[in-house]
Amino acid sequence: MSLIIEVENLKKTYSEGETETRALCGVSFNVEAGEFVAVMGPSGSGKSTLLHILGFLDRQTKGSYLFDGKELSEYTDNEVAKVRNEKMGFIFQSFNLLARTTVLENVKLPLLYSSTPQSKWNSMAKKAIEQVGLSHRINHLTSQLSGGEKQRVAIARALINEPKIIFADEPTGNLDSKSGSGVMEIIEKLNNQGHSIILITHETYTAQYAQRIITLKDGEIESDKKVEQRRVGRKSFIK
Amino acid sequence: MTFRNSLKTAVKGLRANKSRSALTILGIVIGITSIILIMSLGKGAEDLILNQVRGLGAATIIIEPGREAQGPSDFGSLFTDSLKDREVEALSKPSNVPGVEGLTPMVVLSTTVSFENEVDSFMILGAAPLLAEIVDVYPEFGQFFSDEQVQQLSAVAVIGSEVKEKLFGPSEALGQNIKIKNKVFKVIGISPKKGQVGMLDVDNSIIVPYTTALKYLSGMNYYHQILVKAKSEQIVPQTVEDIEATLRELHDITDPSKDDFQVATQEDIAQRVSMVTSILTIFLAAIAAISLVVGGIGIMNIMLVSVTERTREIGLRKALGATTRNILTQFLLESVILTLLGGVIGIILGVFDSFIASLILTKALGSTWQFTVAVQAILLGLGVSAFVGVVFGLYPAQQASKKSPIEALRYE
Repeated sequence: MSLIIEVENLKKTYSEGETETRALCGVSFNVEAGEFVAVMGPSGSGKSTLLHILGFLDRQTKGSYLFDGKELSEYTDNEVAKVRNEKMGFIFQSFNLLARTTVLENVKLPLLYSSTPQSKWNSMAKKAIEQVGLSHRINHLTSQLSGGEKQRVAIARALINEPKIIFADEPTGNLDSKSGSGVMEIIEKLNNQGHSIILITHETYTAQYAQRIITLKDGEIESDKKVEQRRVGRKSFIK
Repeated sequence: MTFRNSLKTAVKGLRANKSRSALTILGIVIGITSIILIMSLGKGAEDLILNQVRGLGAATIIIEPGREAQGPSDFGSLFTDSLKDREVEALSKPSNVPGVEGLTPMVVLSTTVSFENEVDSFMILGAAPLLAEIVDVYPEFGQFFSDEQVQQLSAVAVIGSEVKEKLFGPSEALGQNIKIKNKVFKVIGISPKKGQVGMLDVDNSIIVPYTTALKYLSGMNYYHQILVKAKSEQIVPQTVEDIEATLRELHDITDPSKDDFQVATQEDIAQRVSMVTSILTIFLAAIAAISLVVGGIGIMNIMLVSVTERTREIGLRKALGATTRNILTQFLLESVILTLLGGVIGIILGVFDSFIASLILTKALGSTWQFTVAVQAILLGLGVSAFVGVVFGLYPAQQASKKSPIEALRYE
């Protein structure tokens, strides 16, 4: 299997005036295409920083990060935007949907910045919304949805461009356990369809949906283990 | 991202805050409205004044005594007596000025006039019969005085329609005696209602032979003006030169800058009027433009607030693949749409106001005020408002586009 992510001795330092904060101090690991990796760790362990760099939202201070075989520092700003648009999907803890906008419009948002012809937008968006089981909500405003539904809209938005990899930053953090597991089952299904998943979480329960768990502590990898007993969704979640 | 989609996104952004957007463009609306109004009133005023100035006819040449003022406090230029009978005589000779068809010396003064118990102050014009032709005031009733009456210093008067109204009311005026500065004049004609002709308010004037006016009314031996009628419009420039040459020879002047007289054609005056009204219009429009600057600053302010408020949205868009340029375009378009919208509303209001103003002015002035809207003013309004949008929208848009996506997403 090909590697989608190759990280070698990755370091990230934030400097504010005199003081320097070391968020990542030499992290190395690889992710294969199609793999589902959970990144765990207490707050301040550097997992968000790692996700930002992996997701091309930030750049490393030192070390190398090859995405799809190309070093991050070799991408120009416009190429970075293009990669985010075409090859990556993002799911955030706080959903980050546009207010006063319908589900359909929210899901179509990434297409606005893509080269996809506009005639295909609606059918693509409808397909993505169907995948997360929200077809009956398609013309609702996002403010009328429940938390779980909001996160499912965000997932539909993340997968509309058929990205190679989806980054999920605490996707269940703002949800009750029932809608949380619903969201996790959709993410698992996406993984089964071939999308690589990087999941940031601090809940062991949620992390066990993954094939592999990387635990970070103080900016370093504490452990990197295969999950012995994966939690696999059994219930059908699409109603 | 296509331009059409950028435009849609910007419009959506503005719609989310309708009342704020509306209030923001108020400054631009007021600025553009006043510029359009001022430019159109300026044009209307110019047309009106030009019509009046040209009222004397294009073949009329005006000679005035005195040199051109050297400065605003150069009063010496106003009080001169360089136009007397000697000059009138010289100019009348075809050998000196062949282009002259006729001329009339003018004595102009303002004094009290009475009939029985009615007393009022009017403009007295001392002139030759030629004035009736130049100003086109052949009396409606009675007749104009003749050359003989001028030579005989006859005390006869042709009164304007307003003068008749004020002194006599509905009763008969012809043949009556009026007192101008204690000298009794017989009314022999009443001129028709003319309004303003050139610089003369004929309706409120009394025209008498210039000889009589000089002797009994002004008490001086010089004229205030000489009106010359050229044989045709085409020979006006040549005639002006002949007049100047004749007067210079008469006054022993070799250096034209030392002339003690001024010769003006109707075209000269029209040009001078145009220049004055243009400068005035530009000056006023420039003052109105200040409100555009104020409006622009308002827009910049609101756009900065909007950028801060929408930090998360900006971060999200970037995470989903928006480039720095996409964000810049979106916010720049928002401010340009705002100012253009303000510009269009301002143009509509400005044109409407100008129309109302033309109606009011027509009523107030008693003469037709032409309703004109300059196409340049509309194009200028659109151009300026778009320009304001770009200038004052650029900084907020740059602030928006420079936001780092992670900072933006973290922003609460």
